[in-house]
Amino acid sequence: MSDDLKAVEVTDGGVIADVRPPPGSKPPTDELRRAAESRGNRTLYGDAWYRLRRNKLALGALAWLILLVLAAVSADLWVPQHFGKPNAIDTALIGTSRLLPPSPTHPLGTDDLGRDMFARVIYGARISLTVGALAVLVAVLIGILLGALSGFYTGWLDALIMRFADVFLAFPYILFAILLLSVLPEESRASIVPVVLTIGVLGWPSIARVFRSSILSVKENDYVDAGRALGASDGRLIIRHILPNAIAPILVYATMSIGGAILTEAALSFLGLGIIPDPVRSPNAVSWGRMIDDGRMYLTSNAGIVLWPGIAILTTVLAFTLLGDGVRDALDVKMRD
Amino acid sequence: MTDRKRSILALVLVFVLALAVAASGCAKATTQGGGTATSSGPVKGGTMSYYIGDPAAIDPYNAQETEGVTVVHQLFTSLTAFDPMDATKLVPAAAEKWESNADATVWTFHLNKADTFSDGAPVTAKDFVYAWNRIASLKTLNTATKKVDPSTISYHLSPVKGFDEVQAGKATEMSGLKAVDDLTFEVTLAKPFGDFEYVVTHPALAPVEQKLVEGGVDFNGAKVAFGDMPVGNGPFKMAAPWKHGQYVKVVRNDAYYGTKPYLDGVNFMEFKDPDTAYLEFQSGNLDMAQISLGKIKDAQTKYGTSDDGYTSNPGKQVLLGAENSTYYLVVNNKDKAMSNPNLRKAVSLAINRQAICNTLFEGTRAPADNIVPPGIAGYEPGVWADSKYDVAAAQKALTDAGFPGGKGAPEIALTYNADGGHQKVMELVQADLTKLGLKVKLAPLTDFPTYLKALGAGKFQIGRLGWVADYPIFDNFMNPLFNTTSTDNYSKYSDPKVDAAITDARKITDGAARIKAYQAIDKTVGEALPDIPLMFYKHHHVTSARVHDFVFSAMYLADFSKTWLSPAAK
Amino acid sequence: MVQYILRRFAQFVPVFFGVTLLLFFITTLLPGDPVALRSGEKKLPPAVYAALRHSYGLDKPWYAQYGDYLGSLSPVHYSSKAGLQFTGPDLGDSISSGRPVVDIFKETYPYTVRLALTAIAIEILVGIGVGIVAAVRQYSIWDTLATLGTSILVALPVFWLGLMLQYFFGIILKQWTGGAFYLPISGASGPVFADWVHLILPSVTLASVSTAYAARIMRSQLLEVSGQDYVRTAFAKGLGGSAVLWRHEMKNALIPVVTFIGLDLGVMLSGAILTETVFNWPGVGLTIYQAIGRRDYPVVFGGVTLVLFVVLLVNLLVDISYAFLDPRIRLGGQAEG
Repeated sequence: MSDDLKAVEVTDGGVIADVRPPPGSKPPTDELRRAAESRGNRTLYGDAWYRLRRNKLALGALAWLILLVLAAVSADLWVPQHFGKPNAIDTALIGTSRLLPPSPTHPLGTDDLGRDMFARVIYGARISLTVGALAVLVAVLIGILLGALSGFYTGWLDALIMRFADVFLAFPYILFAILLLSVLPEESRASIVPVVLTIGVLGWPSIARVFRSSILSVKENDYVDAGRALGASDGRLIIRHILPNAIAPILVYATMSIGGAILTEAALSFLGLGIIPDPVRSPNAVSWGRMIDDGRMYLTSNAGIVLWPGIAILTTVLAFTLLGDGVRDALDVKMRD
Repeated sequence: MTDRKRSILALVLVFVLALAVAASGCAKATTQGGGTATSSGPVKGGTMSYYIGDPAAIDPYNAQETEGVTVVHQLFTSLTAFDPMDATKLVPAAAEKWESNADATVWTFHLNKADTFSDGAPVTAKDFVYAWNRIASLKTLNTATKKVDPSTISYHLSPVKGFDEVQAGKATEMSGLKAVDDLTFEVTLAKPFGDFEYVVTHPALAPVEQKLVEGGVDFNGAKVAFGDMPVGNGPFKMAAPWKHGQYVKVVRNDAYYGTKPYLDGVNFMEFKDPDTAYLEFQSGNLDMAQISLGKIKDAQTKYGTSDDGYTSNPGKQVLLGAENSTYYLVVNNKDKAMSNPNLRKAVSLAINRQAICNTLFEGTRAPADNIVPPGIAGYEPGVWADSKYDVAAAQKALTDAGFPGGKGAPEIALTYNADGGHQKVMELVQADLTKLGLKVKLAPLTDFPTYLKALGAGKFQIGRLGWVADYPIFDNFMNPLFNTTSTDNYSKYSDPKVDAAITDARKITDGAARIKAYQAIDKTVGEALPDIPLMFYKHHHVTSARVHDFVFSAMYLADFSKTWLSPAAK
Repeated sequence: MVQYILRRFAQFVPVFFGVTLLLFFITTLLPGDPVALRSGEKKLPPAVYAALRHSYGLDKPWYAQYGDYLGSLSPVHYSSKAGLQFTGPDLGDSISSGRPVVDIFKETYPYTVRLALTAIAIEILVGIGVGIVAAVRQYSIWDTLATLGTSILVALPVFWLGLMLQYFFGIILKQWTGGAFYLPISGASGPVFADWVHLILPSVTLASVSTAYAARIMRSQLLEVSGQDYVRTAFAKGLGGSAVLWRHEMKNALIPVVTFIGLDLGVMLSGAILTETVFNWPGVGLTIYQAIGRRDYPVVFGGVTLVLFVVLLVNLLVDISYAFLDPRIRLGGQAEG
């Protein structure tokens, strides 16, 4: 939503609204279930995978992401040779090689320091994907821990953690990010750690709330009571019964959050707070958000510098969103308590 | 039924409310037309709208950055002034003549008796004494907030006798100031300083009326704080109190003793961001703006370029003259690696300054070949012989430093603030140095306050600074940057011979001889190369097609004395 | 109902203290000094520096400063001369400009409000409208367009959208918008922001992502609701499609949408830094952001306080409207708080 890039789900005191636009086409659940049963496939995740396979949009998104990851990971093998290094500057050539329009050697043109845009976009995927995934991982780890504590041991611990979450959520998001990034030690500006930690730390409250809600709802279920009646310990209950079911919404949330984290990283880089790559020590570190900020003053003459990184961000985040939609539909998660 | 109506009503109300709020607001400021056309040539009348950023203060005692100084310069006249086009020429202003004693420690200024404040009160020596004490005092109140707000620019008066005592809190008035009589102002300095006649050109050192500062200024029956509506002795006066964040409107002072401007007034329009101002200029709502980077060439094509870079006329509206400020790499001479003079030389010779100026700044900067910019009285090109691009010489210097081809050279860190637009400059510098064979890493600090702290603590190897001249004299660079005792000497360069030479040069009363002395100091420091000059700043401003004979000096001061506007209203 | 409101207030208090304490604590970690900043590279004499720091209370320990800050929030002041007076909260003076913080925000907040209200209006009209159309004509071309469109919008970086809109309307549509980039329609201007035309691009940019979310939520809610029994009953009773839609479905479907839009209004009123940066819109977000960069603590604290209260108010209004829309709450039912 708006600037703050919080998750899709709106929470209000624990009630989570369901936002579920169906993808392109969706076969009725009953039919699927019958088909699955006839195959003898009864696990939650098995069913889910089957449904996911049928969802064309989600599959397309997944394919695109895999392609992107492969391109980014293998970039060293094919990008510098054909298009140029993403960060290398040569002041002797810079006058003639800067701000070139698209051509066969430079399919997306060059930027204002003479670097090939296509190479920069490809390498930029590395940082975006890595930061996105790691930031969400951090948020999920913290969020699950605190959410679980909250959901299980209700009472004062729950209240304390939820108030803590409220404080984090009440703080204007970008301002909080700016403050955190301004405080972290300066030596690490070239590394992704400050940004990952910042986005992760800002993201845990939403995850904690989601997890807490799903634990609360799962706790009520009959099979938990049954397990307890059969003498299962707390720990066994948690691991074998509650967690696998409660985790489902988290998976959906996490997938979609990666898109949000990528957008946040781009926004922070645009403001100048994100990763500041050192062209010599990190010759492959490029940030899409920073590219957009750098290109801003050339918008009138060379819009490509701003256009292509934006499209890269757009397609990547879109892919994660569609994938997240697909995962949610596949797991048939209602997420309403 | 009611529910549906309620929800529709709510939606409509919100929408209407939103539109109403959006449509409200003040009227657009328009540029007013000029007066009647009677002949071809200067025409009296018209109000020019002029871009400035948000000033911190327009009260002379605290006129710190260019915005505040620009306004104060129009409202007040200081003791002396320099010709905007030739810094070596000092002309009388509020003082019609002045002299110093033989060793430049006592200066006597004879005030022009025709000089009055815009409210009619005569300008007397006592007004200068009061104004200057106000600048030095630690107890000065901000007239608008009534809080203790001592001046942050008091260093201008540091040569005056008694200044140190006042700044240490031991006295409230400087013993060196004396109002001999109404028209004679005598200043005794703690140490000889031949350039003092230049120091007093600064707009901040203008006279003020004590009763207005302490009692407030009358406006429409109410009292306004002096800081919001200063009353001065300059060619313009305040039309209305300062509208913070929006504008400062001044009108011609018809009681001005000097040449009265043709303009009826100037509206200084405040913009938080120069790009926005440039957009306004292009829409025709502003007569003067700073051209956004990336649009310089277009502007030159569209508006024409001024011949001398400082004077604008229709068809020659883009101003690109050199300014009196230098962008340089400050080197920590106490750092083990950077204390090696040949390494510094190698670094300086390896940097392709022209490429930086051409690509990143589209010609709005010029490669620096000296620490002092061209507008300084006595500047000579090429005096800092190593401040140029010569790869072969750089390689030789590197070998002389003990690191042939870069082998064995220590890693060098470039430190700067990330929010200042320096990233690309540093990337280009790094690229050049890497090509030479050195290992260079970028160490951007989050923002300016963080960077300033590191700079002050000496936690850097190579940083960057921009030094802006307060007055167009050598001393303004040599002393603060290279004197051992100076608190602004971040490079920690220390040469007792240079310190002594500066002290001696300050004793010289003859302008030409003094300049010669400083030129020698400049050469000495240049050979040691404690800092590495990169670029001189240049104007990148433009005026509208109806502005004639507007002068924007290298000291960044606007001179409206001959400016007039074409009569046809836009 | 009243109980509900009071409970919400009670929840706000710890959040307020939590956020402001956290803010104070973080700012003590920020390196750099606002007083030293005023003279920049030219160092201040020690006595002047000390005097200025004392004048701004910066030489006090942080908890004393916090106490001062809390005291300054009180709208009522006691002085021995005038006794008890209602003067409004003081919030101190800006360190960089010396102006009262209250004045600074009196100047900048209206810009944020204007932008936010316009964006919300767009969000309501377009978001709800598109959502309704997409739901009512499910699986039609409109629905597909809407789903695709909203998915793309949700994946866009907001700041990039702003830049692209500026480029599109300022450069590509030069003829029609009457000139190049420098047009009012690009959203940029100086003190003369009044023309409503300046609002178009920034508000569209700000509203874009939220409108997409709102549309999605509206659509899924309507689809959900349309499957309910009472809707089928209404049809059985003989009511036409539009009557059913407006009389029965909307009321229930609107609840999460209103919640979302309301929360979003709160977020926008906290200052949309990204949009403001792109369009140089002098609102609250930009003011606070720049104040952080200058370590202008009074402005930062004043701004965050203002924003907190505004968001509290908006959330409260949302909750109250929620109560109106959901009779269960109005009539004293439980809502998780």
